[in-house]
Amino acid sequence: MGFLLTTLVFVVIGIVASLCARICCNKGPSANLLHLTLVITATVCCWMMWAIVYLAQMNPLIVPILSESE
Amino acid sequence: MAEHGGGGGCCPPMDLFRSEPMHLVQVIIPIESARLTVSYLGDIGLIQFKDLNAEKSPFQRTYAGQIKRCGELARKLRFFKDQMSKAGVTPSAKFEAKTDFNLDDLEVNLGDLEAELTEINANSEKLQRGYNELVEYKLVLQKAGEFFKAAERSAAAQQRELSSHQAGEESLETPLLKDQESTADQGKQVKLGFLTGLVPKGKAMAFERILFRATRGNVFLRQASLEEAVVDPNSGEKVNRSLLHFYLPCLGECFDIKYPFDVEKNVFAVFFSGERAKSKILKICEAFGANRYSFAEDLCKQAQMITEVSGRLSELKTTIDTGLLHRGNLLETIGKQYEQWNDVVRKEKSIYHTLNMLSIDVTKKCLVGEGWSPVFATQQYKEETPRQITIFCIVDVMFQITICINLMHIKIFCFKIQYALQQATIDSKSQVGAIFQVLHTKELPPTYFRTNKFTDSFQTIVDAYGVAKYQEANPGVYTIVTFPFLFAVMFGDWGHGICILLATLYLIFREKKYSSQKLGDIMEMTFGGRYVILLMSLFSIYTGLIYNEFFSVPFELFSPSAYACRDAACSEATTIGLIKVRDTYPFGVDPAWHGSRSELPFLNSLKMKMSILLGVAQMNLGIILSFFNALHFRNAVNIWFQFIPQMIFLNGLFGYLSLLIIVKWCTGSKADLYHVMIYMFLSPTDDLGENQLFPNQKTIQTHQGESYTALEGTEDSLQVEAGHDPHDHEGFEFSEVFVHQLIHTIEFVLGAVSNTASYLRLWALSLAHSELSTVFYEKVLLLAWGYNNVIILIVGIIVFIFATVGVLLVMETLSAFLHALRLHWVEFQNKFYEGDGYKFAPFSFALLGTEEE
Repeated sequence: MGFLLTTLVFVVIGIVASLCARICCNKGPSANLLHLTLVITATVCCWMMWAIVYLAQMNPLIVPILSESE
Repeated sequence: MAEHGGGGGCCPPMDLFRSEPMHLVQVIIPIESARLTVSYLGDIGLIQFKDLNAEKSPFQRTYAGQIKRCGELARKLRFFKDQMSKAGVTPSAKFEAKTDFNLDDLEVNLGDLEAELTEINANSEKLQRGYNELVEYKLVLQKAGEFFKAAERSAAAQQRELSSHQAGEESLETPLLKDQESTADQGKQVKLGFLTGLVPKGKAMAFERILFRATRGNVFLRQASLEEAVVDPNSGEKVNRSLLHFYLPCLGECFDIKYPFDVEKNVFAVFFSGERAKSKILKICEAFGANRYSFAEDLCKQAQMITEVSGRLSELKTTIDTGLLHRGNLLETIGKQYEQWNDVVRKEKSIYHTLNMLSIDVTKKCLVGEGWSPVFATQQYKEETPRQITIFCIVDVMFQITICINLMHIKIFCFKIQYALQQATIDSKSQVGAIFQVLHTKELPPTYFRTNKFTDSFQTIVDAYGVAKYQEANPGVYTIVTFPFLFAVMFGDWGHGICILLATLYLIFREKKYSSQKLGDIMEMTFGGRYVILLMSLFSIYTGLIYNEFFSVPFELFSPSAYACRDAACSEATTIGLIKVRDTYPFGVDPAWHGSRSELPFLNSLKMKMSILLGVAQMNLGIILSFFNALHFRNAVNIWFQFIPQMIFLNGLFGYLSLLIIVKWCTGSKADLYHVMIYMFLSPTDDLGENQLFPNQKTIQTHQGESYTALEGTEDSLQVEAGHDPHDHEGFEFSEVFVHQLIHTIEFVLGAVSNTASYLRLWALSLAHSELSTVFYEKVLLLAWGYNNVIILIVGIIVFIFATVGVLLVMETLSAFLHALRLHWVEFQNKFYEGDGYKFAPFSFALLGTEEE
């Protein structure tokens, strides 16, 4: 699907998650900011993990060499 | 208001990011309403009183007498608890009947109950002892009676035989001497005395032997063992006493802990002649703990005694039973009120402890107390949401429904503490009201975070390393996400993640039940961290999908694998390998890698680089938090001479490495990054040749090298700048600051390398986990499957389950937990965290219960 497209998907998921957090637990501006920070941190962490694994496989320098038994 | 760098004001406030603003308050309470005031303040639980009488010993304090009273009541309650647990009565759960307990009434009540209970216990003990003695006596009567009966029967038989002998044979064979001997024997019959009693079976042999030796064989001992064991009245008591003196030095508590011994005993009857022998035998009996009972020779008297004793035994039994019943009832009534009384006594004791901390005024008419309290408890704070509502109205119509609900969501915190003081004045009918004022001080206030049950466990993790200094940035906020995330990077298997998720969901659904129970140590820790484990499992499922491991088995979940054979016959699959024919596998590691020979080189390279990238990101976050701390505490020096050099150094070195990694991945270049990084320092002006990743790389690297020399200068010049500010801090020593900063510089520079390398443990543990998982799957499950035998398969499955749960789910979880913790505590927090504050410990009744347990 391409790197940029999936990154966009992550951004959209992040926005949806923050809105959900805002709707179901609206407890005042400082608490809302905390929830937003947590959601954004989680989204960024998950995206980083995915992006690293994806980028590493985009232009591989080694390829799978199957083992003898197969 | 504590004047410590009051608020940077750069950014909107965030819950939990900085500790609550605190201030030092002073209350002046009149004596008559003192107790009630402290009681109400304890209900609120938001003031931490300072001990104003610290130099006084506990006995010199004003309310020492009251505390002694409470201690005495607590002792009585402990005694009741002891009695109840021995009788098997459980105290009923307390109902919230808020009856105001007068301490004096309670004292009298408890005193009466205690006296009654001890009396009942003493009486029943006496009765029991008498009962046991009678039981033994009855047994002696029965058995000894049998001796005598048997002896009489044989004597009568012998007599008959003798007389028949005498009567029968007057032949010449009967020797004359024999006749004489028998008559002489008759004449020489000495009056024998006898003693009867019971001796423990174990000592019976020794008893017999010593009797024999002591009396030079001039006794006749007859023993018969009893079929069932009896309760020994005396030895039970004897053992009781000696044990008590050993274990319970406080004699007040040794009321009646009965260890009744069921001892196997023998009934004995010893026949002797002479006074000296009698005294010897008496002493030996006493030494062996043999109880003696008198025995009448007369047969009919024996029968009489037996019936009499049986009658008394049944009487005693009924008396003892009624006694026990009465005691049971008493304990039941105590049990109903026990929890309430316990609570009241604990509360009173804590109230008097707190009152002891207040200093008494010269006029002895009022008490002065000082304490820390959060600002929100003493101010009116109305929280509404109309402003946010208007913004959302403009943005989205869909929210209108939720907005209507939110309009009713208005919270008002009144002047909590002032309200409590007023209430106490009214309730105690005092003439004078309490005075409340805020003091200004330069002392460091305690740290207080308002956590809920979810954030509490994460805050505990951070606090375990060090409590945050007052109002510094709290790493707990980010720990809520990054800790489970780093755990998951090391754990990555969505099969294991699902197992842990199920376990923790069970704990969360049974929350109410478990929080009121008393759990064991390990279970308590696991239950306390249930939300941490929940997040850990959710992230583990995510990283498991990325690593593509379900109990180490990969699946083609998102699209077919990107790799395929080079030609139709797949001839080169095991020598040169596959080639990439389709687009990159869209989510996670391609399933073609698992089981291949080049799996490890690829995954190792991937995971190592991933660890470096994640590590550099987290360390940058740490340094940025130090920037926010400097902003908040208005410490410009720290920004220019600590934050900026740190950012430049870390990013110039490892940020650059991260950039090179990403560029290499994007371009697919074959450059050797080790070579690039090392030779950047060793010989920066050399040509990069095949290691070039992007144009002008060489120039950039040379500039980086130059900037490092400049950095050294900047960090030193920090000392010069700081030296011009002596009046800002008390006792500011230039040399101290200089040395401190020098150490800090060296620490940071060396630490940058070691900390970045430390993040490689993310790779190491993830590799260990996946290898263990593979071994258990291939060498246990698949091996068992290969035999085509049901029994071997079942054994294999059981071994697989035990190995997975024991090694992977328990040991690996703990291991990854520990390493993720270390990464947070050391590598992340040493960039910005000082952690030398102290925790807010308010006087609160709610916290009393937890700390007593």
